Amino acid sequence: MTIEAKPTNGARSRLDPEAMPRRDFLGLTAWWSAAAALLFGFLGSMRLPKAAVLPSPSKKFKITLPASLASGQAYVPAGRSAAIYKEGMQVYAVSTICTHLGCIVKATDSGFDCPCHGSKFAKDGAVLKGPAPKGLPWIEVKHLGGDNFLIDEGKSVAAGTTVTV
Amino acid sequence: MLCDTSRKMKANKHLLLWSSLAALGVLIWAAVDENFYRDWRVIQRQVRARLLPSQADAFAIRLRQIVSRDTGATDRCVSCHVGMAPGESGIEGDRLYGRHPDVVHDPASFGCTVCHGGQGRATSTADAHGKVPHWPEPMVPKEYSLAGCGSCHTHLSVPNLAELQKGKLNFEQADCLACHRMDGRGGTMRPGGAGGQEGPDLSRVGATGFKQDWYEHHWAQKKKAATGPWVSAFGDLPPAQRGAIDEYLRSRVGAPGLVEGKALFHMPELTAVGNKDPGQVSFAQVPGERSVANWLKQHFRAPASVVHRSGMPELGLTERQIDQLTFYLLSLRRRTSGETLWPKDRIRAERFGAREFATDGATLYGTFCAACHGQKGEGMRYPGLPEFPAIANADFLRLVSNDFLREQIKQGRPGRRMPAWGASEGGLSGEEIGRLVTYVRGLGAVPFEGDSQPRRWAKGDLAQGEKLYTEVCASCHGDRGEGKVAPALNNRVFLNLATDTYLYKTIQNGRSGTSMAGFGAGSSVRRTLTDAETASVVAFIRTWEGKK
Amino acid sequence: MNQAAEKPNATEPPASARFIENLKAFPNRLADTMFRTGRPQSDRTRATFVFGNVFLHLHSVRTHQWSLRWSTTWGLGIATASCFFILLLTGVLLMFYYKPYPEVAYLSIKDIHFVVPTGRFMRNIHRWSGNMMVVLVLLHMARAFYTAAYRAPREFNWLIGMALLVMTLGLSFTGYLLPWDQLAYWAITIGANIAQSPREVTDALGITEWFDVGGLQKLILLGSEDVGEEALIRFYLLHVMILPLAVVLLMAVHFWRIRKDGGMTRPADAEKRLGSRVDGVYPVFTAAPEKTYSLAAIVKGRTAAVGEGPEWTLPSMPHLMFAEAAVFMLTIALSVILALFLDAPLKEVANPAVPENPAKAPWYFLGLQELVAHSAFMGGIGIPSIVLIGLALIPYLDRETEGTGNWFGGPGGGPLVFRSVIVGLAAVVALEALVIRFGWLRQWWPATPQLVVTLLNPGTLLTVLYAWYSLWCLRRFDSTRAGALALFTCFVCGFIVLTVIGTYFRGPNWDFYWSPSQWPGH
Repeated sequence: MTIEAKPTNGARSRLDPEAMPRRDFLGLTAWWSAAAALLFGFLGSMRLPKAAVLPSPSKKFKITLPASLASGQAYVPAGRSAAIYKEGMQVYAVSTICTHLGCIVKATDSGFDCPCHGSKFAKDGAVLKGPAPKGLPWIEVKHLGGDNFLIDEGKSVAAGTTVTV
Repeated sequence: MLCDTSRKMKANKHLLLWSSLAALGVLIWAAVDENFYRDWRVIQRQVRARLLPSQADAFAIRLRQIVSRDTGATDRCVSCHVGMAPGESGIEGDRLYGRHPDVVHDPASFGCTVCHGGQGRATSTADAHGKVPHWPEPMVPKEYSLAGCGSCHTHLSVPNLAELQKGKLNFEQADCLACHRMDGRGGTMRPGGAGGQEGPDLSRVGATGFKQDWYEHHWAQKKKAATGPWVSAFGDLPPAQRGAIDEYLRSRVGAPGLVEGKALFHMPELTAVGNKDPGQVSFAQVPGERSVANWLKQHFRAPASVVHRSGMPELGLTERQIDQLTFYLLSLRRRTSGETLWPKDRIRAERFGAREFATDGATLYGTFCAACHGQKGEGMRYPGLPEFPAIANADFLRLVSNDFLREQIKQGRPGRRMPAWGASEGGLSGEEIGRLVTYVRGLGAVPFEGDSQPRRWAKGDLAQGEKLYTEVCASCHGDRGEGKVAPALNNRVFLNLATDTYLYKTIQNGRSGTSMAGFGAGSSVRRTLTDAETASVVAFIRTWEGKK
Repeated sequence: MNQAAEKPNATEPPASARFIENLKAFPNRLADTMFRTGRPQSDRTRATFVFGNVFLHLHSVRTHQWSLRWSTTWGLGIATASCFFILLLTGVLLMFYYKPYPEVAYLSIKDIHFVVPTGRFMRNIHRWSGNMMVVLVLLHMARAFYTAAYRAPREFNWLIGMALLVMTLGLSFTGYLLPWDQLAYWAITIGANIAQSPREVTDALGITEWFDVGGLQKLILLGSEDVGEEALIRFYLLHVMILPLAVVLLMAVHFWRIRKDGGMTRPADAEKRLGSRVDGVYPVFTAAPEKTYSLAAIVKGRTAAVGEGPEWTLPSMPHLMFAEAAVFMLTIALSVILALFLDAPLKEVANPAVPENPAKAPWYFLGLQELVAHSAFMGGIGIPSIVLIGLALIPYLDRETEGTGNWFGGPGGGPLVFRSVIVGLAAVVALEALVIRFGWLRQWWPATPQLVVTLLNPGTLLTVLYAWYSLWCLRRFDSTRAGALALFTCFVCGFIVLTVIGTYFRGPNWDFYWSPSQWPGH
């Protein structure tokens, strides 16, 4: 059995929503410093997922162009995303990574086709069709003598830059 | 009570406040430490301050690293040695913060630790240089930095040390250094005119290759020229000298000192150094302070001072030899990397079984035999172990044919310390054993005296033979010929190879300079054996043949 | 259907205007809907805030003053939970970079240490709060025991607490392998072979062929015969998934039961000892409610609060909140301070061919390792099981009420605990001295059968001594509580001494050394 007691003089009833006494400076400082510490720690720890260094290995590789490579025919080394062309005495390399969403484009007789969203590129990398925002970048080629070349997929050069054999 | 409650509350508030402030303070401290005072940040700030203004603007303070999937390197050394990072130039001409000196292998694609050792993943100085507990591979010391080549060039081909020195001498005597540079020396003359090197730098010619007809080529040049060094400095070279120079040039792979050190390692003068597989040398277990080089040097000077109860004798090496050997040992740090990266020497050695050191008799003997049989075949005596036979002993060599020696090396002594060098994989080829036999024969300089008797001729009283054996021989050779301080006679290969003449004469004449005395000659202090008695003993020893 | 009702009120602005209006009001409405009962500014709204909030409603709305005294709990439970919270957070962060595969795991720890932003600090925090949690959970248990808080109606919560203790040790142990360094590898190898140690008994009995529970345990733990990639992925799964989930679940029950079992234990005369009641608050109930208002089916009969007036309680918000927040921040402060100054250890990469010497388990298992050095089964499984079973039975065997809620309460009290400390220390130190100086069965009688060696561990003898002493106390004071006090105290002493010996006085080959500086050089 619950018995309601009568209010006594000077006491206030808990059932009435009463104004709380203003919180003291100490309590507020305590809460805010705790919040500050937690926030600072949280913000600091949120820096963790952004890696400070990326494991970007060297993308340089050496190739030997086959003697049978016809002028204007793409040579795509296995496992690499670069197409190397030899036109006369001029050698250049075009990246085969689609500028749209990163699929590997396939070299065809007329240029490059992207299997993912239908972009088409010319042999010099220019966009012919599809959603690709820009042409395929040209990448750095260095002549090492004979039919040997050093390709650096990590370094793009201005379109039209060729190496004379 | 209110005051009690609020006091408790106040205490909690204080606890909350001060704990929070402490935590906040520590967090801020940690943040400042990480973002401003890491070793690499401090160094990069200093480097930036020293850069030209135009360079300094482009220079970002950030972690840099070299990653190579092929060598397995993830090397952040370039976070401090920024000039060596790919695409950076750093401070021009600075040894630590400038570019890496030109070397055969581009550090940007090979990484740093593959040659220099240390801890590539670390970004603080002490950790990176490996001078911390729990990192087993400290940096290769600066003065031995070329020892780093050994991580991949595990099977660097080296000629016989004597040949190498002869080649070097010839190279210098022929005044090649006038036009060519070699290991940082020479190249002061210019054929065309005043000063400065025209002939190519030959320091790495062993790796890059050179014209086999260089001599003829030089002659052709000389004929064309009218004046200058071509006329004054180049002259005739006899074929023998040219051969020695060729040998020397082939050994020049850009690692002077390492080649010499390795050649020394395989010389007969170094008796007790075992032929260790480089892969088994673990620096993790090297005790003492962490300067491995110093430890190794001390180890060569006085093995027992660094290895408790070391059985290795003091070799009496010169400091220069100690230095060279330390160099070589520091290079034994084989790394596992893809075979595509293997140098030719290593492929030749590991895939085709070619030896990486010279295969003349002397080098082979120094590598495989000298540790036990002594550098001159005089035998070795180590405390607590039976004596190793003196194989250059004249009394021994006189009695054994080259076939005996060849088969002995090939088959070993089963169950004894002498391994079968021919049978096991990686053992010696027939040709190499032939060279060894010639070398061993040469050590004693005694030819086989020949044996007209059949291999088995001894007949005698077996009972008497056994009695005599027990009386005379057993104390050294064991009751059943199993060998004690003297070699085992009851050994399959021994009994098969030794002729009766060999046994008979050895018993009769003994072996001078060893504990085996001659029992034939009269002696006042010792039991002697008559011819018939000796034959009985031989016949008795023969009874073990074919038995277990 | 009333057409008029469907028509928009003429005085109301058009829908487009209302849309703008709603958009403007969004921030305030969001706040209002978040705090359904308005901002917690009065005792009443605070109360509704506490029971209306999913995170806070584990607390009762009002907290007894006794519970707010520091000496009641020393905040150990909250501190343990805080550690767990820190561990969850830092653990999740570490998982961004950790790769559970041999060798690769080691390298990823190196990366976390050297290049991951805040990685080294996070790993250190994880490491130190992990250790702190083990210490705190043990202290928390000791507090619960010494204040007799396990008694009715809190028996089951004591059991849940024991399960949490075991899981905490499991979490720490599984985490030990993840760095894949020498320390990890050999500690886990030892641990896994302890799991296999029942084979000692089955071997001695000759029944291993049919009943190989030891082998099965090791196989399930490692997924292989040795510590390898299978073991690593299992330990990883246990560490980041199974055990944390189980701990979260049990912690929820543990907390819930605190409330449902009537809050913190307090002595029967708590209110008298608190002195006068809180002034200025008008009591709602002058007499205690006699009617049960139990709602949760989990609690049988009346709620524990029945029969007790609320006058001695204070609003949980802010009183309890301040206390909890203070302990929480203190725990954080301690762990970040440790993390700033002490790096978590990382030795050489694991090398199965070269054992560490001495290879030591995590510190809290070094007491066991000290026993294991004599026989794996009794030291590693037998005695720990006896201790765990004994602890679990305490609340069911001690049904007395005297001393509940008081530190060292019960017959005998403080003096009994003090005497038990003396006896407990004396026994374990004397036994260890004997073993270290004169050896054990094998050194005396080399022909002792294996089964005897296995079962007659020095720990067995110690356990028997302690049990005998506590029985003596039980009879002397004619009280089960006195026996429990004696036994528990003795075991705590034994645990501490063995752990200290295992940690500081054992060197290579598990030989005794006064200090690591005397270890033989290599």
